[in-house]
Amino acid sequence: MKKTHIVALIVIAIAFGVILTSLSNNSTYASFKEASDHPGNVYHVVGKLDKSKPFEYDAHVNANLFTFYLIDRDGSERKVSLGKPEPDDFEKSDQIVVIGKAQDGNSFAAADVLMKCPSKYTVDSIPSQKKQSSM
Amino acid sequence: MNEVTYIGEGIGWQTAGNASIFLSFVASLFAAYCYFNSANNDELENGPWKKLGRIGFRLHSLGVIGIMTTLFCMIFRHMYQYHYVWEYSNDAMPRRYTLACFWGGQEGSFLLWTFWQVVLGNVLIRTAKKWEAPVMTVVSVAQVFLASMLLGFYIFGWKNPIGSNPFTLLKDTPGFTGSPIFSMPDYPSKLANTATGLNPLLQNYWMTIHPPTLFLGFASTVVPFAYAIAGLWKKKYGEWQLDALPWTFFGIMILGTGILMGGAWAYESLSFGGFWAWDPVENASLIPWLTYVGAGHVMIVHKARKNSALSTFLFPIITFILVLYSTFLTRSGILGNTSVHAFTDLGLSGQLLIYLFFFILLSIILVIVNWKGIPRDKQEEDLWSREFWMFLGALVLLMSCIQIVATTSIPVTAKLFGFLSRHTPVFKESLAKLANQAPPVDRIGFYNKWQIPFAILVLLILGFSMYFKFKNTDMKQLVRQMTIPFIAATVFTICSVLMLNETNGFYIALLAMSWFAVCENFFYWIKHKKTNFLKGGATFAHVGFALVMMGALISTSKKDVISVNTSKKSVKSIDESFSDATNIRMDQGDTLRMGDYYVTYTGKHRVGKNILYNIEYLTKDIETKKYTSQFTLTPLIQLNPQMGNVAEPSTRHFWSKDIYTHITYADPNSLKDENKESAFALARTSTISVGDKIFASRDTIVLSSLDSHIDLKKYNLKEGDIAVGAVLKVMDSNHATYSAEPIYVISGNEVHYINDTLKNLGMVFSFDKIDPKTHKLDISVAEAKHIAKDYIVMEAIVFPYINVLWIGCLIMILGTTLAIRQRILKSREAKADNTSLNEIKA
Repeated sequence: MKKTHIVALIVIAIAFGVILTSLSNNSTYASFKEASDHPGNVYHVVGKLDKSKPFEYDAHVNANLFTFYLIDRDGSERKVSLGKPEPDDFEKSDQIVVIGKAQDGNSFAAADVLMKCPSKYTVDSIPSQKKQSSM
Repeated sequence: MNEVTYIGEGIGWQTAGNASIFLSFVASLFAAYCYFNSANNDELENGPWKKLGRIGFRLHSLGVIGIMTTLFCMIFRHMYQYHYVWEYSNDAMPRRYTLACFWGGQEGSFLLWTFWQVVLGNVLIRTAKKWEAPVMTVVSVAQVFLASMLLGFYIFGWKNPIGSNPFTLLKDTPGFTGSPIFSMPDYPSKLANTATGLNPLLQNYWMTIHPPTLFLGFASTVVPFAYAIAGLWKKKYGEWQLDALPWTFFGIMILGTGILMGGAWAYESLSFGGFWAWDPVENASLIPWLTYVGAGHVMIVHKARKNSALSTFLFPIITFILVLYSTFLTRSGILGNTSVHAFTDLGLSGQLLIYLFFFILLSIILVIVNWKGIPRDKQEEDLWSREFWMFLGALVLLMSCIQIVATTSIPVTAKLFGFLSRHTPVFKESLAKLANQAPPVDRIGFYNKWQIPFAILVLLILGFSMYFKFKNTDMKQLVRQMTIPFIAATVFTICSVLMLNETNGFYIALLAMSWFAVCENFFYWIKHKKTNFLKGGATFAHVGFALVMMGALISTSKKDVISVNTSKKSVKSIDESFSDATNIRMDQGDTLRMGDYYVTYTGKHRVGKNILYNIEYLTKDIETKKYTSQFTLTPLIQLNPQMGNVAEPSTRHFWSKDIYTHITYADPNSLKDENKESAFALARTSTISVGDKIFASRDTIVLSSLDSHIDLKKYNLKEGDIAVGAVLKVMDSNHATYSAEPIYVISGNEVHYINDTLKNLGMVFSFDKIDPKTHKLDISVAEAKHIAKDYIVMEAIVFPYINVLWIGCLIMILGTTLAIRQRILKSREAKADNTSLNEIKA
């Protein structure tokens, strides 16, 4: 066997290893219930902000803590603590992904959140003109 | 609906634009057809098909320039009746961003890409000689696909049009049709103040230079790809590499510069807190570069030894395919909420997939058909030869690329597995599990963990491989030559490890390898290139790359967040992974210790749509306890009702470190309009005597005396009114004193109050009552709400030795540029040699 063949085999083996581990090493999307069943594991939970409950950030108390209530896709709700300041335009987002672990007593500690904002460009973007034209 | 005759719609522009799009599409098809025939049939150097192909490509060029000119003029003339103009520009934007608007949207950036391929194609027509026909066939086919992205035709009753046309009127754009404004004949003149304009985040000089550079880099990958395909097609397996080499190094240089510009932009004005965040969109630009560098190096190996021909085909093909795949990733919307700056879907993902699979299939078929014919190495490469290690280096780059592709593609593979789990009878459960894959939680840590070993290997190889000779190397001589730089590298490594107090084994290894690569290459340049600047291309590029790695390592691993929250309530109690050492609240006037500095938030001011926060960094003299101001940073928040407010950091650069300051949260009340800020908090009343103090939220107020000699005229009081002033001395947190004098007036039976306001401090004082017996007064103090509460939450980070990274970037770009020059010269030399050789043979 030639050296290049050996090298090629090693390369292929590493490549497979790399792909498999990067596919299996990660967090998965889950519901709050699943996350509660496996405390300690980090999950991505997709949900909607419960706008009827308060979302609180008080820099005077703690600049690194923001709490809000999130309803996941299965409809269950948790109080989420995020270890960061309140993100800008948080209340406008229609979908939120929280990344973190479930905790005792129906709460969830998120290390990070990702927000999906509604499309910004629709007919509503020209409201002032609409009023004018309807006169 | 009634037909309305519109005034000032400028339909002529739309017609001109669409005609240009049509011309560019049809002419590229024509050029591809003619060049294809020329490559297959033309016997002569300048056969009729080739001439027709050239005409086709020039017409296509004309079409593309027509599209660009039309779109540019529309933006310049503020023709907001067109959706593209409406969405990416507005009257408020400075003229210098017209170009940035041009490529702000997907259609414009496709246009930019098309334009660069037109430029490259025209250079190829002049320089490719006998390779012109097959190479230009491939380029023209690529142009057909790119031109189709702009068509905007609806055919066969499809829901989505083919391509997204940049000349669509706003009133014809889905989501806008039917708005009542379009019933007015003169609506185009009424749109100006509704136009959204380019995302203010992008109104930046980087937006003018970063996209054109990056897209030239992307576009350039078509040239080595076209040569590789031409080589397979014409079954000339060993000749094209010489012509493709200068192009490849040109592309490596441009794409590399584009990526680094993106990093510099992110570091300077976006709020990632670093220059590289492994964001999927950043990764998408990096992955083709890695295989591009691999392609350049295997071509050099091939040139020297005429072996490993197969890899010279595979690397450029993979590179081009990765560019297409990256485009799909960033523009199909599939990254969704995994990236901060992916484009949204324009309905082009189907077309992008067709484009991608067409070239994947074409390449696979051509490689399989030619598999037997591609020459293999007859004898084995020597382990101690330069080509063996260069080849290995290229493979390590490929591995690194595969890891990034695999992880960045998680949203794609998850979708794929989801589809499979729904449509196959077997493995449903495990497939469904894979369909729930999410991207890594600690993205930056995850990628660094994987990529550091690859970087160590690459640096090791590029450290010693220069000393190897092609074919075989005299080991004694090699060891002798490498000793001095090796000792130098060891000394530098030990010093820097001690100085940085580095303890992580992987980091030390990377640091050591960086020094090794720097020293070995630098000495190689002195010894073998006799310090000839022009011949330093490869060594400079390697030194630059090693410095980039070193700078990235030090500035990231020794990054020091100095804004540590010292308040008693720690977030650690909520979760171990939470950190207090990130964001800190600062009230205006507070001075907090951060690292070696005392930092104070002195106030804010507004410039246009930006609110600038003054953060002063002071040092304290231990003996005199006096603060000395060192510098002031002004991070800002851009008020942006459409996109949401955006924070931009501010950084102080020193030669050995950068201090980066970033506002992570600002008091919402303080972001409102200045005019509405007059609201005062409820006044607080204190009963005091002369000499007593009142403590406001930040200031101290002393009642110093009573003043009975009030100038009645000044306050429009009548003769006979009794007026008494309370003389107040107000001392703010910086020990500056102000005075105020609210007045108490008895006019007949009535009592009047004349308030005094200290605008600077946002305070209103009133003198409410005086008790004649005790001589005590009631003084009310009202503080303006925004002043009373004004605070920011900020983050301050020290990036040590980040300048090593930027210097490395410049050296790498310089080195690669010199390498292009050398490759052009060498390719000419080699051709001259071949011709003379052929003459001798003949």
